[in-house]
Amino acid sequence: MANTKTKVKLTLLASDTYTTTVSSTPASKLPDVLEMDGPTLSNYVYNEKLAPLAQYVSSATLANATAGSLAEGTVAKKVYGLAMFDSALGIYGNKKLLDAAGIKYPTGLSDAWTADQFTADLGTLAAAHGGKALDIHEEYGLGGEWGSFAFSPILWSAGGGLITDNKSTGVMDSAASVKALNTLASWKPFIDSNADGKAFTGGRVALGWGGHWNYPDYSKALGADLVVMPLPNFGQGSKTGQGSWTWGIGAETKNGKAAGSFLDSLLNDKNVTAMTTANGAPPATKSALAMNTNYSPTGPLALFAEQLNKTCGNGPITTACVAVPRPVTPGYPVITSKFSSALSAIFGGADAAKSLGAAAKTIDQNYSDNSNYK
Amino acid sequence: MATVELRAASSARGTTTKVKKRKKFNSETLPGVLMASPALIGVIGFVALPFVVAIVLSFFNVRLNSVRPPIFFGIEQYVRLFTDPIYSVPFFRALVNNLSFAVVVVPVQTAIALALAILLNRKIRGIAFFRTLFFMPVVFPMALVTVLWRLILDRSDNGLLNSVVSFLTGGAVGAHDWLGSPTTAMGSVILLSIWQGVGFQMVIILAGLQEIPQERYEAAQLDRAGAWAQFRHVTVPGIRNTLIFVVLLTTILSFRVFDQVYILIRGAGLNQDATRTVLYQATVTIFDENNVGQAAAITVVFFIIVVALTLVQRRVLRQTSED
Repeated sequence: MANTKTKVKLTLLASDTYTTTVSSTPASKLPDVLEMDGPTLSNYVYNEKLAPLAQYVSSATLANATAGSLAEGTVAKKVYGLAMFDSALGIYGNKKLLDAAGIKYPTGLSDAWTADQFTADLGTLAAAHGGKALDIHEEYGLGGEWGSFAFSPILWSAGGGLITDNKSTGVMDSAASVKALNTLASWKPFIDSNADGKAFTGGRVALGWGGHWNYPDYSKALGADLVVMPLPNFGQGSKTGQGSWTWGIGAETKNGKAAGSFLDSLLNDKNVTAMTTANGAPPATKSALAMNTNYSPTGPLALFAEQLNKTCGNGPITTACVAVPRPVTPGYPVITSKFSSALSAIFGGADAAKSLGAAAKTIDQNYSDNSNYK
Repeated sequence: MATVELRAASSARGTTTKVKKRKKFNSETLPGVLMASPALIGVIGFVALPFVVAIVLSFFNVRLNSVRPPIFFGIEQYVRLFTDPIYSVPFFRALVNNLSFAVVVVPVQTAIALALAILLNRKIRGIAFFRTLFFMPVVFPMALVTVLWRLILDRSDNGLLNSVVSFLTGGAVGAHDWLGSPTTAMGSVILLSIWQGVGFQMVIILAGLQEIPQERYEAAQLDRAGAWAQFRHVTVPGIRNTLIFVVLLTTILSFRVFDQVYILIRGAGLNQDATRTVLYQATVTIFDENNVGQAAAITVVFFIIVVALTLVQRRVLRQTSED
């Protein structure tokens, strides 16, 4: 359904300052259509920057959105954001190196590594292969959103978390969360700092803690030797992150109808497929996901599709569900800033209980300063 | 003006009395004010006003571009900054980091700049090449410098510094996490900062050195002064004002340290606690956590500390230059 009548003016912003720029732009100056990282959406809704989409976007488009896309884009039962693609986290493995070290690795969610087994295998791999065994993409920066996205799943898997009912103390600094991050910090001697970005593709390490976006490069470099595995199970079943960048309409748009039809066309199969072919992501529309060969039950990334299928949504995190969206709350910016900064300090050797305790207290103070963002 | 300048060169004291005797207002007052006004407007608009705004903001709970009105907070932000451990511990640590950076960088960088300037102040063939070489890092953006040093200081065996250490010690000393370890993190930042910044001070000192009349060295040589005596009694007094300027400038720049710390913490596993500066903390508070009020309080306290230190430093240095 090509639309040749609507003219769209594209404004590009540098990725590292994109969120800051949009956050500090008043609603009246925001464009008709904008993209944002999923967990920041709630804060934008709180600050009246986004319009509910139902009035502008066709009902077919809304009905075609995956559960993950809706879970991430919904605030107070209204949909404000729709995504072209979702995201997935997992452990990539280099089959040749794993086999050479005699490592028995998981084939699916049911036999995911336990944290202890993973720790032991890292030791074995490091001893067998040049001292390092794992890449966790330190070059993305553990002190930024990558840290929160990649490692809050181990808190959830351990039975901890980031925040529950607007309270972080007792959740982020719970014994389970502390233990999970201590385990992560204990892996540091086996982790390649990946300063050149080639630790996994260059064969320096056998395991890579990565996202769906690594798949195109990794599969090109390793071919049939690439295996995709779930993150380690810290007790409550393997968990993974989900959610990615999502599209919304500015609250003060004067071209709502055109903006809506722009989103309709952006979220059609042709455009979503073009996007996910380029970035390797799981499509966030049902029809495009059904057509995608990578994520089909026999495809190489079937595990990622299965994880997203078993989403915890915005409900409680149980042993049965796997994919957990980051908390949908207007206070997310302070949660991620405090958590990722504590994470990077703990990884650098700081005391986990103390760092997480201070982070949780600061978050709680922030919520009480802002009347729990009501 | 030309006569005044000549007098200044021959006798500083003469000029001061001359200026003092002038009337308060004369035909030069108006052009003077007019000519100073662009700079004054700049100082008021970009320094004084923002500072006043920061003071006002620090008394409120303000969120970055929140649609809700700011809530009056009184001195709560300051009370937290000084007494509540979840705010005061990181804040004081950041202050200590800033101070330790300045305490090392100011003397060391000035000394190295002086040494380089003296080495490069010779009339030999190809000296321009070496001057360019040492000045080059100044032209590099800090982002590029940190990317380079990240590879040098990488914690793996392949890190350039680790490879060198291992080669020199025959493999006896293993790989060290230069950026991640709390004991070497600040040292690493200091090292790369000096490497990047020293060329700038060097050029300023080099200009000062070339102002020293050659006759003074000749006279000193006639008095059989050795190289060290010449350095102490001709070179240093000759560039005293330049050195004072360089020290002040380096001090101010070293309190502003931000880029390298931000990039290395965010992308290279730099130990955060050991290197986080006050500006880093303020930036994170406002742009990552949207907490404008708290960030304003941090900058106000920091501004007062830096101004106080600068005043003390100016006083000490002025006294030495008078006797």
